[in-house]
Formats: sequence, structure tokens, C-alpha cells
Amino acid sequence: MVDRKKIEFPEDVKKVESVGEEAEFPFDISPMYEGERIRKGEMYVELGGTEQPGFELVMALSPDEVEDMKVTVVGPDLEEMEEGKAYPYGMIYYVAGSQVETDLEPVIERRNHDFQNYLEGYMHLNQRYDIWIRIGKSSVKKGLKSLVQIAKATMMLFKNELPFIEKIEAVYITDADLVTKVLNEVAMRIYEERDARVEALHDEDVDEFYSCTLCQSFAPTNVCVVSPDRPSLCGAISWFDGRAAAKVDPEGPNRAIPKGELIDPIGGEYSGVNEFAKEESGGEYERVKLHSFFEYPHTSCGCFEVIGFYMPEVDGIGWVHRGYPEPAPNGLPFSTMAGQTGGGKQIAGFLGVGISYFRSKKFIQADGGWYRVVWMPKELKDRISKYIPDDVRDKIATEEDARTIDELKEFLKKVDHPVVKGVVRPVDGKKVTDGWVEEEEEEEVVEEEKPAEAVQPTPQPQMAQAVQYPPTQLPVQLPQLPQLQLPAQSAGGVKLVIKDAKIYIDKIVIKKPEEKKGGK
Amino acid sequence: MVVIAVTGKGGTGKTVVSALLINFLSRNHSLLAVDADPDSNLPDALGVQPRKTLGEIREVFQVSRDDMGTMNKEQWLEGKIYGEAITETDAYDLLVMGRPEGEGCYCFANSLLRGVLRRLMRHYDVVVIDTEAGLEHFSRRTISSADYIVVVTDMSKKGLATAKRIKELSKELKLNFKKIFLLGNRIVNNFGEEEIKRFADEEGIELLDLLPYSEEVVNLDLRGEPITKLDESSEYARKVLKIANKLVG
Repeated sequence: MVDRKKIEFPEDVKKVESVGEEAEFPFDISPMYEGERIRKGEMYVELGGTEQPGFELVMALSPDEVEDMKVTVVGPDLEEMEEGKAYPYGMIYYVAGSQVETDLEPVIERRNHDFQNYLEGYMHLNQRYDIWIRIGKSSVKKGLKSLVQIAKATMMLFKNELPFIEKIEAVYITDADLVTKVLNEVAMRIYEERDARVEALHDEDVDEFYSCTLCQSFAPTNVCVVSPDRPSLCGAISWFDGRAAAKVDPEGPNRAIPKGELIDPIGGEYSGVNEFAKEESGGEYERVKLHSFFEYPHTSCGCFEVIGFYMPEVDGIGWVHRGYPEPAPNGLPFSTMAGQTGGGKQIAGFLGVGISYFRSKKFIQADGGWYRVVWMPKELKDRISKYIPDDVRDKIATEEDARTIDELKEFLKKVDHPVVKGVVRPVDGKKVTDGWVEEEEEEEVVEEEKPAEAVQPTPQPQMAQAVQYPPTQLPVQLPQLPQLQLPAQSAGGVKLVIKDAKIYIDKIVIKKPEEKKGGK
Repeated sequence: MVVIAVTGKGGTGKTVVSALLINFLSRNHSLLAVDADPDSNLPDALGVQPRKTLGEIREVFQVSRDDMGTMNKEQWLEGKIYGEAITETDAYDLLVMGRPEGEGCYCFANSLLRGVLRRLMRHYDVVVIDTEAGLEHFSRRTISSADYIVVVTDMSKKGLATAKRIKELSKELKLNFKKIFLLGNRIVNNFGEEEIKRFADEEGIELLDLLPYSEEVVNLDLRGEPITKLDESSEYARKVLKIANKLVG
């Protein structure tokens, strides 16, 4: 971790220091000024932006290191700047408080944007190393003389709005060499460290997930649950976005979901998520597992970037993205599968996801993760290639290897894909599939003495039969199959023997035998 | 803030009217001009070289959002819009909405855009929006409301039929506008005048004015010159100036 300590500046650089609260400001402070755009003609100076380096950084320090309400301006101050010019700008805040931790730094830093935009005649845009500030001429006319005034107003807002900040100190740098030096040597390293932490943040590290119901106008029962390991299906919303939106508007489309009890650590089932799903889907769904393909999968809205589809013939999962126009090896193009799955339904055997879910360490981990994946279009595979484990990357076919189930079978056999001999899921070492049954062997599926029951796949934890159903407690939802009722006279029971069967049903039409009229 | 949406059937001259209104109103007011018609050429009519369109920014957002880490996406979009999409002229700012969205889900991008545009617009005295008859940006709520809707029509049955549809649509969309106006354009004879007046009466839409056919306007357009070069003492220009003063007192 980058050491958090105050930045030291050379003695010979011009500095202005000021401690204590300012009694009055020559500018208004109000959320009303958010979005205010200072046009080029009205601008006194520009800080950062496209022409000059700039950055903003919050560092959490221990209370004895922070001198409360102190400002140091390093380099030329506003009065020494030439009107209409752009200058380098670094804003550093040291914060302390019993609850202030390194993890909170980015959360606090983000608010600099909000608070500085409350200042009349001060436009703040962007974040991190991209910041771009314009100060209006009118504010300077009204008496704005020094960045000390800006810093004091901003710190006052920080303390008022975020009371857990007990002490705050600001250092604003306008000296070109020092802005670049601190940006490269300290700030960039801290930003990189934060990004690395994001990659390492998992569902178990947080207390809340976030919902997204932006799409409910299209898919009324859809409930997107956004967790650190599972971004939204549209790919747009990460856990961080959900958190940011929920803070701004707690009753809006992104709300906090307390996780509750962990029910299934591998499938990713939480009591809080289940309750939320039940409520938001209008009772339609009672359980949702975040990292499961077959068992209580996440609902699919219609916005998803990629759809996953189970292919029983190879006992593997294929993925196809919106931009791939050809049919997948199962014979269906994206649009057809999306049409069947979309609309907020929970359908075992199909799953809509966002492209960034492929980055997740928990990517369908209940079903074997990447080791269960057998096919994806080349374009998609190339895009996410670095997230595929080395030992299976070349074993996943693309359209260049296989376009039909038969070609796919051959390919998987040739490369010895895990599905051929059985998939061991890495998360707990459990074998989740038995692999393909040798074709010579005659496999019998015998359903004995099942009188007049609806034909339902029995829940099977593993796949042993030639007719392979996904291991699920949900009935496999082929598009709304009516339950097959066998004729009543078979009450004595029937014996069904299915040998080496491959069943593909395009359509079943069941009709009552029509009574012939006038035929007697 | 006064928001004026200028709309009407394609080819009726709404962009000419928008450009002149922008030209006049920006002299005494801070003004944002919005080109919300993918088929129109408001920047050409104004003689402004536009920067990126909002649509282009949204596409960049769609492809780069996965790599934003903990960066705030709303701030990212706002920065791009302020920094790369808004064209600053000496007198006003111009924002071009650009082409409609492509495939995929834009729910989140549009929801962020709405917030950014709402905060942006409220800081101008006047916002003039040149928008197509389908009012797409209003129905998607990327632009939330308009105070005045000015429907431009020429002497054609279709122009009037479109005006009627716009009136119905703007009611359905609950735009909460204060008033909807009809503006006749390229009127060459009494018959046209009478027909448009009669239509306005029947539909209960206030007729703002009837603009004459102007050869100068046609020639500027044909030569690809900005309409803002129009002689301000011409009848056409004087009439539009009067309208500008009526809408924004």
C-alpha cells in the first residue's frame, strides 16, 4: 500500500497558509449552483483541464497529523494569475476521524465535485487526474482573491455534510512542477491501488448490494441485483455505481439491498436478496442465486449484453452477445433466445448477463465457472480473453471451430474439454458433471412405476443420463410446456425406457380428440 | 429559464426560425441552443462548426464504461458533455444531440444524461430546442420539459396534419408546457393565410404569426450560408424578432 503521509514541499516555493474558519465568503454557497457552466468569455482562469495537469486526492491520516481547517496554497495564488489563462491545479485533502479509513478516501474524494459546485462562480468537472475547473470573473469582482477562500468553503461543506470527518486540512498546488510531481509520485499510485482493490472486492466484503429497476418499464418483474461480483445485465452498472446512485436518491431506481443471511455461499444466495426479489417481482420469484446458471438463476430483463444457453448434447454452456448475428450452435440466434428469456423471467437453461460479469471471480461458479463454458463468438472471446483461465482458454470453441452441435462435439472431444470427462468446479473441488457417456454403452433411463404423473425431470444433482437435464429444482422451463397427462387407463403404471435418446422438440400440439359430428 | 421547443413537419422551415430566434435572443440572454433533430442542420443555419454530438459521447460511454473502475460515471459523462460536446460561441452555447442510440441497453446512460442535462439547462436564461415532429427527446425525457412549443407549418395539408399530431403528442407526454403556438411559414397568398387561421381556430392553438415567403432566406439556404446573415430590416427578420420578444419578455 502507498504510504499515507503529508506531502513535503521544498522551502523555496511560495506558500500561503491560513488556519481557522472563514467568517464570510464573497460568493454564494448552494446546491442551486450545481451544473453551472462558466463560459469562456466569463472565465477568469481555468485550472487543470485539457491544457494543464490537475488532480484531486483525499488521504486519510491519523488525527494528530491533521491540522484542522488549515489551508496551504503552494505556488501562485489567484491574484497572481493572468486573466484568461490556464494553470496547473492539485487539490489534496488530509482527513481524520475515528471512522475515517483508507477505504473511505474515494467516497470522500468524490464529494469534492459536489461541494465545489455549490460555490457560485466556480465550475468543477471530472475526477481524479482529469479535473477541470473554471473560476468566473464575476466572483473575482465580488471579492474572490485567493484559493484559500475556495478551500475553506469546501472544507466547511465537507465537515457539515460528512460529520464523520473530524479534522480536515487542504493543500492546493498551482506550481507546475510540483503538481506533476505529486500527481505522478503519489496520486497516480493511490488511484492504481484503489483500482486494484476494486478487482479484489467481493460479495463477502460488503454488507449491501444494490438493486436496479431502471428497466422495469420493459420487464416489470425484473430485479437486477448488483453486487461486487455481479454487475448489472446491461453491463452499465457496477456495485460502485449502485452505491453512488443509492446515496443520491435512496428511493430511486438503485436501492440498497441488505444482504441478510448467507444461504448458499457457492450459488450466491442471500436471504436479503430473496426478500427483495419477492417484493420487487410482485411475488413472482422467491429465490435468486447470483452465481448459478441452473438453480434459481437471476432474472433476465431484455437489456442484457450476452445470453448464456445450455446445450444438453455436450452438457456445456455457450454464450452469445448481442452483436453476433449468426445462429449459435444450438441453432438459435441471440435475438430468438433473448426473446424467450427477456421480460424479467427466471429461466433455467438461459441466462442474460453483462459482459463485465465475465471478469467476475464468481462467474457461474456453482456450475463450474469457465470450465463449463464450451462456445462463444470469437469477437466476444477476444474481448474477455484475459479473464479466461489459461488451462481452458483454448478449449472454448468459437464459430471458427464449430457452428453446429456435431462440430462442437467433435471439437470438444479433440481438445479434451472438461465437459467431456466431467467438470470439477474450482470453488470447492466438487465434480458437478459426470462427463459424456461413451457412445457404445447403452444407457438406460428407467422410470419405474410412475403412475399417471406429469413428466417432470427429477432433481438431479449430477448428470448421469443420456437425457441430460440441468441440475435444478426448478422444472426445466421449456417455453411454457403444458404438463403431460397420461390417459387415465394407465393407472396401473407405465414403464418408460429411453435408449440413447436425443430429444429435440420444436413444437408440441396437444388437442382433445374432436367428437365427430354427424358421423355416426 | 424559458425553454422554447421549435418543431413541425420536416422542411417547413423550423430550423430557419430556430436559428433566427437563437440569434436574436442570445443578444440579451444567456442561451443554450439544442439541435435535437438528427435530420436538421441547425449548426449550418447558425454558421457554427459543432463539436461532438451527445450521441457520440454516449457511444464512447457504452464502450468504455467497463474500464472505469470506481470512477463516477455521471461525473464522467458530465465532463465529456461540458468539455467535448458543448460548442461555445461568443454569444451562446450549442449542444447537438446527434443520432439516436444504437443496439443494446441505454437505460442507465440515458438516466445519467437526464440528470446532467437538467442541471445544465437550468443555468441558462433561455433554451431553444430545434426538434423533430416526433419529439423523441421529450418522450425519452432526456429533455424534461418545455415552456413554449412553437409548431411551424407551411401551406400544406401535411404541415397542418403534423401540427395536429404534435399538439396531441405533447399533451400525451405531459410536458407541462405553458402554451403551444402555431407559426405559419412561407405564406404566399390569402388562401394559405385563411386556411392556417381557420386551422388554428378549430384546434384552439394560438397563431403566433404568418411569415412571408422570403427569397433571401431561400438563397442563403441554397448557397449554404448561415441564415443569421439575413438582413435584419427585412420583413421576415422583423417578424421573427417580434416573436422572440413575445416569447421571452
